Amino acid sequence: MTALLALSNIRAGYGESLVLQDLSLEVAEGEVVCLLGANGAGKTTTTRVIAGLMRPWNGEIRFAGRNVADVPGHLRVALGIGLSPEGRQIFPDMTVHENLLLGSYTPRARRERPRAMEQALALFPRLHERLRQKAGLMSGGEQQMLAIARALMSRPRLLMLDEPSLGLGPRIVMDVYAAVAETARSGISILLVEQNAEAALSAADRGYVLANGSIVASGSAAVLRDSALVQQAFLGTPPSVPHAVAK
Amino acid sequence: MTRGSVAATCAGIAAGIVALAIPLLGMPLLADIDFRICALLMVAVSWNLMAGAGLVSLGHSAFWGLGAYVAILAANDFAVPFAASLLPAMLAGALLGAALALITGRMRGIYFAISTLAASEGLRVLATMLPDITGGGNGLYLDSKLFPGKTAIGLAAPCGAILAALIAWAISRSRYAFALRAMRNNELASQMLGVAPIRFRVGIMMIAGAIATLAGAINAWHGGYLDPGVGFDLKTTIDAQIAPILGGVYTLPGPIIGAIATIGFEELTRALFGGMVGISLLVFGIVLVVVVLCMPQGIFGLLRGLRLPWRPATPRAAR
Amino acid sequence: MINFAQLLIDALLMGGLYALMSVGLSLGFGVMRIINFAHGEFVMLGAYGAFWGLTLWHIDPLIAMPLLIVLGFLAGWLLFRGVIEWALKAPQLNQILLTFGIALVLQHIAVVLWTGDVRSASPGYAVSTTIIGDLFIVHGRLIGFLVAGVLIAALMTWLRYSETGRALRAVAQNRDAAILMGIDPGRIYALSFATSTALGVASGAIVSFLINITPFMGFPILLKAVAIVILGGLGSVAGTVIGAFVLAIAETMVAYYVPDGAGWTEGVAFALIVAILLIRPRGIAGQSLAT
Repeated sequence: MTALLALSNIRAGYGESLVLQDLSLEVAEGEVVCLLGANGAGKTTTTRVIAGLMRPWNGEIRFAGRNVADVPGHLRVALGIGLSPEGRQIFPDMTVHENLLLGSYTPRARRERPRAMEQALALFPRLHERLRQKAGLMSGGEQQMLAIARALMSRPRLLMLDEPSLGLGPRIVMDVYAAVAETARSGISILLVEQNAEAALSAADRGYVLANGSIVASGSAAVLRDSALVQQAFLGTPPSVPHAVAK
Repeated sequence: MTRGSVAATCAGIAAGIVALAIPLLGMPLLADIDFRICALLMVAVSWNLMAGAGLVSLGHSAFWGLGAYVAILAANDFAVPFAASLLPAMLAGALLGAALALITGRMRGIYFAISTLAASEGLRVLATMLPDITGGGNGLYLDSKLFPGKTAIGLAAPCGAILAALIAWAISRSRYAFALRAMRNNELASQMLGVAPIRFRVGIMMIAGAIATLAGAINAWHGGYLDPGVGFDLKTTIDAQIAPILGGVYTLPGPIIGAIATIGFEELTRALFGGMVGISLLVFGIVLVVVVLCMPQGIFGLLRGLRLPWRPATPRAAR
Repeated sequence: MINFAQLLIDALLMGGLYALMSVGLSLGFGVMRIINFAHGEFVMLGAYGAFWGLTLWHIDPLIAMPLLIVLGFLAGWLLFRGVIEWALKAPQLNQILLTFGIALVLQHIAVVLWTGDVRSASPGYAVSTTIIGDLFIVHGRLIGFLVAGVLIAALMTWLRYSETGRALRAVAQNRDAAILMGIDPGRIYALSFATSTALGVASGAIVSFLINITPFMGFPILLKAVAIVILGGLGSVAGTVIGAFVLAIAETMVAYYVPDGAGWTEGVAFALIVAILLIRPRGIAGQSLAT
């Protein structure tokens, strides 16, 4: 079965500095895949490359069987790639409603707008309350919900979430991840990019670990969770010291 | 010193000697061209110094006109002779430069550009509306009693040009050079706040301002007549930009090469298009656009194979 | 005895026109972060267009306006795609000089084609007046105000409620996020530039029967527009409208109260720019300088 998204040997960076060395990963239809990495590992670069905000220096990007390397970012949305970016990036001077309208800017999404709006607001009831408020005035958690809802308005086949739990309290993180699970159940493939391995691995089917610009481990979520590498790097448990958490 | 810079220095010294010698030869046509090149060179160096600090001047005629008015008023109203009248002119230039630097503070280059535009228009309005002082729209004639003779003025321009070039050279060698380039580059990274102290901005503006007003003052004595339109002529502002851009912005020889190229260009268009009004500035506008788009490194940059001042981000080839 | 009501009327009518003259500049900056130093030249071209329409073919400037607006839009689009787009990624020096160079070119094409002679279009309503009590209302100015009002209202409605208008605002607020919505930033840039030149041409058509037309009328207009846009806050259309009325009131008061005031009004914009930069560079409603 061909993967929905397939990256092969991606090299990318900013200016003169290389960030992604040789990145290859796949997301199959209907899967939830997480990409774990510490700060600076290249997580956001990866999502930007897939979304078309950045051109890779080398490598292949295939989406739904088709090579999209030459497709400019704004056209990838119509193909079905959606991104809730790092830092949420909502439109601060526009209302929640307007942000959602913009999410369904593409012709295909515009046709399904009423239904999409209904679904998004059912998924995030809090946004329904704040519909006419300026997005910039909302809390971090609400902005994160808006960013995800907005991405869903474009009717993606693949939804990417870049660090959705960053800076949010545990309660909100739970709400956000509940929505992610709900979205996955509706059949949308998800690529979850996170530092918060605990949350990500509990939501994902499979995962990759990104370090120094390439994949250093991959496998099912359960396997990764038990692996020494992930334990050490993300879960704060050195393998030789039982239950002591290094500070 | 590299071979290239030895050659450049020799060329510079030779040019300086030639510039000084021409007024003494008694050939009025050549002397006039020499004068215009030297005056433009000063203005170009001044503009280039500001640009090097990330400050784009769209109103250099403000300095030129200010220098002209101060010099003529010093002569007419206070019987100040030629050489002495240049000093208050330079002082006025330094003060205007400082004022512009302080008003725009640490704001982005666009605000500075706007302020210079406002300054040149504002000074023009002032000159027109204060006829008791400036003669208003009717203009002023220089009091001929004080005229020091064509040769003296003819020599003053090359002296000023050499002075300007030396100042620019000295600054490029000083520790200010790094601070100024940092200010400029941070502009490119669009991080204007808190980059370099106001001190540097004010300093460079005072020096550059004084050089430009000096040029305007010398030119006022040369021409003998001044009114707001002549003093604050848009053409001065244009020339002040075209010369350094054409020659090679941010470089040392750039304004010098550019001044020579610009005057040469002017003579060429005059020969080709004669009296057709507006053609020469039309051509200048086209030159400016073309150079900015296709040749932003200027003549000097081309000679050195540089790709200044803009390297678009290109993906690197596979290794 | 100075009639304060007359002053207010004069300022109001002028403010509306000033607003139309400046919103284009504000739009361009809000979306692309560039100031189009050739903005005044588009006003000049609009004025000449209306003038020649009237003089050669007896077409009233108001009737010619729709056509002029379309031409202004097309000219702006072509100029952007053909020339200005290249400079968007270049350092500010290049951007500033590029539009400045374009201004020069346009100015002197006008000089070559039409000479520097002063012209003015004079349809009947340019000077006819209505007198209400003590107040003189020049028809030309009133018409100019009304047309400007209609155009600005149309612009603001379009920005607020249409898909493309919303897309334009999105690009102005966050370019990358806009791309993620499927919005093509290049087209939006061209659209906003073309809209701003169209608005400039429209204000030129109005101005053709109100002031003298010369190839050099652009720079003083640019200066006023810049003062207004900085006062109102770069990138805010509503702020620009407010700024326009502030400048109009300031100029009218100078013309009335300062002896020989008419000559000094040209300097009001300059003084206002200095004042704003010293006191509150962000202006009334604009984006912060850090952006």
